[in-house]
Amino acid sequence: MWLYCRSDAIQEEKRKHKSESKERQNLKKSDSDVWSSHGDRDQMLRDKHKERHKKEKDSADGRHTDRRHREAEEADVEKSSSKKSSSDKRKEEKKDEKERQQTADGQQGEDHIENADLAEQAYEEDFEDYEEDFEDVDESADEGEDDDGEAEQTTEQSKEIEAIRRAMAEENERVGTAQSRSSTAREEEQNRPKWSKGSERNESKTSRHGKFINFVAAKQREISKKVATKQKKRSTELLRLIDLDFSMTFSLLDIPPVSEYEMYIKSFGNANTKQAYVQCNEDNTDRYVQTEEVEICEKWTQHPPEYNGACGDPNFSQDAQDKSRIDILLDSQCLMSFLSSASQVMVVLLEEDQAEKKSLRKLKTQTDSLSFSDGSLQLNTKFPFLLGRQISLVQFSEVQKHIMLSVHMPTSKASTVGLDSCTVICVWNIWEPSRPQKILIYESEVQCCCFSPGKSTLVFAGTLVGSVVVWDLREYASNHYRLKMGDYEWTFRHPTFSTDAVMSGSGHVSPITSIEVVPSFVAGGPRPEVPLLASEEESSGLSFQLASLDESGILNFWVVVELPKGNEAGSPTDLGLRPGGRVKLLHSSSLLTVPRPSLKEAAKTRPFQTLLLKYHPTDSNHFFIGTNLGLVRHGTSHGLKAPPQFYKSQEVEERTVDINSIHFSPFRPNLFLVGCADGSIRVHAVSHDQPVAEWMNSTSGEAVISLQWTQTRPAVFCVLDAASNLHIWDMLKDDGQPVKTETFCADRVTAMAVFGDSGQQNTYSGIALAHESGNIELQYFTQPLTLPNPAEEGKLESLMTEAF
Amino acid sequence: MMEESDTYHIRPNHRFKFKPAVVKGYIRNIVRERLSDVQYEPETVAELTRSLAESVKDKVKTAEFDRYKIVVQVLIGEQRGQGVKMSARCLWDADTDNYAEDVFMNDSLFCVVTVFGSYYY
Repeated sequence: MWLYCRSDAIQEEKRKHKSESKERQNLKKSDSDVWSSHGDRDQMLRDKHKERHKKEKDSADGRHTDRRHREAEEADVEKSSSKKSSSDKRKEEKKDEKERQQTADGQQGEDHIENADLAEQAYEEDFEDYEEDFEDVDESADEGEDDDGEAEQTTEQSKEIEAIRRAMAEENERVGTAQSRSSTAREEEQNRPKWSKGSERNESKTSRHGKFINFVAAKQREISKKVATKQKKRSTELLRLIDLDFSMTFSLLDIPPVSEYEMYIKSFGNANTKQAYVQCNEDNTDRYVQTEEVEICEKWTQHPPEYNGACGDPNFSQDAQDKSRIDILLDSQCLMSFLSSASQVMVVLLEEDQAEKKSLRKLKTQTDSLSFSDGSLQLNTKFPFLLGRQISLVQFSEVQKHIMLSVHMPTSKASTVGLDSCTVICVWNIWEPSRPQKILIYESEVQCCCFSPGKSTLVFAGTLVGSVVVWDLREYASNHYRLKMGDYEWTFRHPTFSTDAVMSGSGHVSPITSIEVVPSFVAGGPRPEVPLLASEEESSGLSFQLASLDESGILNFWVVVELPKGNEAGSPTDLGLRPGGRVKLLHSSSLLTVPRPSLKEAAKTRPFQTLLLKYHPTDSNHFFIGTNLGLVRHGTSHGLKAPPQFYKSQEVEERTVDINSIHFSPFRPNLFLVGCADGSIRVHAVSHDQPVAEWMNSTSGEAVISLQWTQTRPAVFCVLDAASNLHIWDMLKDDGQPVKTETFCADRVTAMAVFGDSGQQNTYSGIALAHESGNIELQYFTQPLTLPNPAEEGKLESLMTEAF
Repeated sequence: MMEESDTYHIRPNHRFKFKPAVVKGYIRNIVRERLSDVQYEPETVAELTRSLAESVKDKVKTAEFDRYKIVVQVLIGEQRGQGVKMSARCLWDADTDNYAEDVFMNDSLFCVVTVFGSYYY
């Protein structure tokens, strides 16, 4: 049974390899059909196969029939035992399984036996192998089978099995013979009788063996095959119903890479950084370098630094300043002038008021009231910068009779101000005695000074070093050195123009002894007493020359030039001009006042010195120089010889005395007083060299420091001598000696100046005395000394006529 | 022997059809809830992806898409300025099968959740 099954299995495999359907059909067909179906193959194979297959077929058929028979037999046999039938059923089941396995194996075997040659050749071997398999299988099958049922019916089964085997063998023989007959019938055609026989034998052999076949692996194969078939079937059916196609490509995520800039911007402002804009230079415009705007501002500066305008910048700010200043000057000039005069008036009134109150209180209680004075006025010189200074000169302005200047020498005492080595010149308005109007400073000693003619806006000074300095009093106080002392701020004015070292070539090299304004009007012109019209004054205010005389006799003439606008930066050409100054001096001419040869004898003993210069009040051509030989030299600036050349003393001998003072009479310009160092006083007329009058010992031998005619009375003059005696002469009363003599013992008088105004409105006359202590007193003359006497003119006339 | 003829559900009932919009909503909610304040940390993010996939899967299952096979894919990556391109292509029956996806990004990470629904006939 099993053998047949196995051989069936082989056959079925083979058939399947060729053609499944045909095989199936072939099973049902006759042998001839089977042969014909296999006619496709090679003749040899076919031949071989034909025989074999035929035999097999026959055998198979036979076997099938046999099987059926056998089954019948078995059925018969098994009827005896139900177990047999069950085992048969089992076998049947197994056979079915085997069939399935065969189909599976058939599939597998397809691979096997695609190569027909191999199969052919190994056919016999297969059988042999199968035999081996059978043995093994039989053993395992036996084991399996035996495991299953051997426990129960081993002995019975073995008997039955034997019986079955015998029956099978008989059948096999019968089938084999049948096959061999059919094969021998075609032996002529076929070449495999032996083989068939062999196969028969093999079959018989195999049939005789009857081994077990293992179905477990086959079972598993069957199961998986079943599942696969099911799935396959399912998929094929489903695929018929549905379409599968590719979907679109879905883009699920698309993030572009982040650019560097984006990364930067992400972290911008978060990190501890600050973005700054930078710029490189032009050849690297694509690179950036940090730059910062540098603010540039031009400035300039120069010495002196105290000067407000000593620095600046070329931008409009400076122009604005100038502009404003010019505006002030031009637009409100009238206002300024009005204000200045009005303020002066106010101040004066206030001062007067104050002084009146003071004087009323003190008038009669003045213990030291002088014999000639009616009252006195003290100029307040109690300032720290005036402390300890000796007053060397007091001078009144020619035209503005109330303006006075006092020259304070440098002090040896150290003061807190720091101006010790400087000369301080105070310009006073005597109606405002509380403080000086202006304070002028010069670094060195000032020997002489004078006001400008007309309006006293300029102060000229000649210095010890031989320089001529000019102060412009109109300059703004802000331009000058300001010092705050107490609660008042003092302005110390430096010279506007100085010939120091700059014009020394054309200037003086020896100390200047005298400086004088040369009036521009000639003889015949209006007298200086007559006040000029305002317009004329303005225009002629600066049309004058300045003459300076030094010790060696050089007389220099300077032209005073006023610049229309002061240059804040200073002038590159006029180095002596203060930056912003508007007045300068130009050297005009120089004159050497050479002594006469006849005086050489006297010159041998002492060097000739010119000590004083005075101009003729009306005739600016004539000047008079006081020498150290006791002579006054007469000269003309235009070189015309003008007799007399010298004015000497009445004495026959020439005495070498210094002439300390010359003063022209304000009423009689041809008369002038001469005071000498030996105390002699002379009155000269311009026309004669011999004096009109001379007084030798009026001062008891003391040198005359200063002598001056009074301003209101033609016949009165004052003399101050070195012993601090003040002599007042009234020639009307006494022409031999002074009518009044006053001695100042306690506080010596160092300088003297006569002031007064003979104007109708307010006639006053007085004398300003500068004391050693620094006080300046203004002593007003008593009425008799002040009021003019009509008989004085006659007296002077008679004097002159008497002399000549 | 004759086998039984099998019956196959070729098309799902419209009510049970895989709705991408609905699923996308689920994904969005879950992701935003779970990832809104999270910074990318290499150690924890692996676990996070798994749990996120689980959550999404469970949530989609509650939607009762009958006979649908659900595939949930979660991708979490760190945002470092790199470029990322992610795409998908499927071989399916376009009538019944569909997918839903959602992208979540914050400044430290990005997250892509894709849910594929394939109908089981």
